[in-house]
Amino acid sequence: MAKKTYDLLFKLLLIGDSGVGKTCILFRFSDDAFNTTFISTIGIDFKIKTIELKGKKIKLQIWDTAGQERFHTITTSYYRGAMGIMLVYDITNSKSFENIAKWLRNIDEHANEDVEKMILGNKCDMDENRQVPKDRGEVIAREHGIKFMETSAKNNINIERAFEELAEAILNKTPSGRPDPSELPDRIRAVNPSPGDRPGVISRCC
Amino acid sequence: MSYRERMQRLELLLGEAVINLEQLKELVFHGLPGDGSARPLVWRLLLNYLPASREEWGPFLAKKRTNYGNFVADLLQPCCAAEEAADAAEEADHPLNPNPDSRWQQFFRDNEVLLQIDKDVRRLLPEIAFFQSATKYPCEQIVSGAMARLHERVGYVSLQAGSIVKRGIGLITKTSTGTSSSSSDGGCRPNNKGGESHWEVVERILFVYAKLNPGQSYVQGMNEIMGPLYYVLATDADEEWARWAEADTFYIFTHLMGEVRDFFIRSLDNSTSGIRRMMEILMRRVGGRDTQVARLLAQQEIHPQYYAFRWITLLLSQEFPLPDVLRIWDSLLADRKRFDFLVDLCCAMIIHVRGELLSGDFATNMKLLQNYPPIDVRDILALASTFSEKGVVAE
Ligand SMILES: Nc1nc2c(ncn2[C@@H]2O[C@H](COP(=O)(O)OP(=O)(O)OP(=O)(O)O)[C@@H](O)[C@H]2O)c(=O)[nH]1
Ligand SMILES: [Mg+2]
Repeated sequence: MAKKTYDLLFKLLLIGDSGVGKTCILFRFSDDAFNTTFISTIGIDFKIKTIELKGKKIKLQIWDTAGQERFHTITTSYYRGAMGIMLVYDITNSKSFENIAKWLRNIDEHANEDVEKMILGNKCDMDENRQVPKDRGEVIAREHGIKFMETSAKNNINIERAFEELAEAILNKTPSGRPDPSELPDRIRAVNPSPGDRPGVISRCC
Repeated sequence: MSYRERMQRLELLLGEAVINLEQLKELVFHGLPGDGSARPLVWRLLLNYLPASREEWGPFLAKKRTNYGNFVADLLQPCCAAEEAADAAEEADHPLNPNPDSRWQQFFRDNEVLLQIDKDVRRLLPEIAFFQSATKYPCEQIVSGAMARLHERVGYVSLQAGSIVKRGIGLITKTSTGTSSSSSDGGCRPNNKGGESHWEVVERILFVYAKLNPGQSYVQGMNEIMGPLYYVLATDADEEWARWAEADTFYIFTHLMGEVRDFFIRSLDNSTSGIRRMMEILMRRVGGRDTQVARLLAQQEIHPQYYAFRWITLLLSQEFPLPDVLRIWDSLLADRKRFDFLVDLCCAMIIHVRGELLSGDFATNMKLLQNYPPIDVRDILALASTFSEKGVVAE
């Protein structure tokens, strides 16, 4: 297997209602481009980007989940292994903001207790269609002690900064007696919803 | 049997007074004529929409198509139409009525579904221009202005009811009305000048389906199942069939969903017909056919949920360019044990790239399976056929 070209591996997760722009945010971050014609995410998607922070090479493994309710059984099983979660709403869609409370409950239920969180109010380029004032985002973030930013995947506002700040918060928590990177598994530790569907357990039938 | 022989037999078979469905499946499993001319008819037959007896087609289709027209007329009428409004006044119904049975509440619930559909149909198969283009056969009531366009209806609520009703609003941005030049609608312009775009037709079919199946309603991904079906029927070279693409697609879609709907229902994820069970069977087959690859996937913890969830739920419609998808669907729909071959095909896709998988790490393998490389689909179809001929490995 290829030699490790990074010092640390962080697993991040993007969640939020369908259509708020999760896939666009990730695409902007990983490919520095904006595409208006993404199909809706079915299940879960995956991208990797390596960044440098405080002299360390950090490999970000970012999971993009589907927003619609139907996919939650599939997607909540990834919460457990996540070190950082970005919770996205759409500033032109107040329903997506109201649902933030629901997404936070999901995190409480399924993620590690010490997971780093961040709330993003996306599509801030569309100020003329704004339904959620910025201070409402700030208030809910403050209430929960979470970082908050308004972003635009379209105009590339705060996208890189958001990922860097989230990564930095995780980095600051990482104990100085860090494990040797070669010992880090090059994958996430996703907790399976049920032991039965672990592909590792191929039943020795007949 | 040679390609020519097969095509000749197909022509004979389709010309018979009573079409033998079993023989049809056998032939179509290996593919249809390259020009796709037989496909619209064959899919209507394979999906158990058209009766086997040609004699029955005329009256049958006439009845079905009229029924669909009635569904559209009944279900798309927004409740604020004059007559309904009068009824509502009698029942003291109004937009602020908190009663969940209130027609207004129903109207707002419908609009939430509609909004999701609207977002998805605008993003349907963006790599081809077809869905953005105008249909030759738009809905008459829409073009004449007797009925509002569905996407205008979601726009309408945001603008009109936005100030008076708290629930069920705030979902819509003005951009979805098509008046703004913002890109949030995926660059998709409604065809407002006396016509309709194909995506508007698809939106209507999905909405009618959602209304008629309230338990399940609309789930993302259904649009991707609808895409190839509608495309095939609407591009029929025979105008007499093409003009009925909307109604007929509604029925073949309903039949197809009847067989795969469990993949779309969250509460059935763990049932024997649910998606999780399908993924289990897939992994077992991979294990039975290629222990090395199966072991590697297990070791790297590359779970089938990461890739096969989408492969299976969408019947592979997202993994290949449209012409390849159509070819794949010929075989999937002609499968005697419908959708068992789908699992063999997924298995073949994994084993086809075994070389890359065995030398890749977690990240490269995830990328490989989530963005399947361009291939000649005949290779995986052939490989999958050898699996099904050998029979099902022990399950
Ligand atoms: N104006 C504007 N539009 C955006 C922005 N980000 C995303 N969009 C649009 O919002 C729509 C949905 O974006 P996606 O990234 O596909 O949404 P998603 O959250 O991944 O949705 P699901 O996959 O269904 O959960 C697309 O049509 C984008 O063009 C943004 O920053 N500004
Ligand atoms: Mg997405």
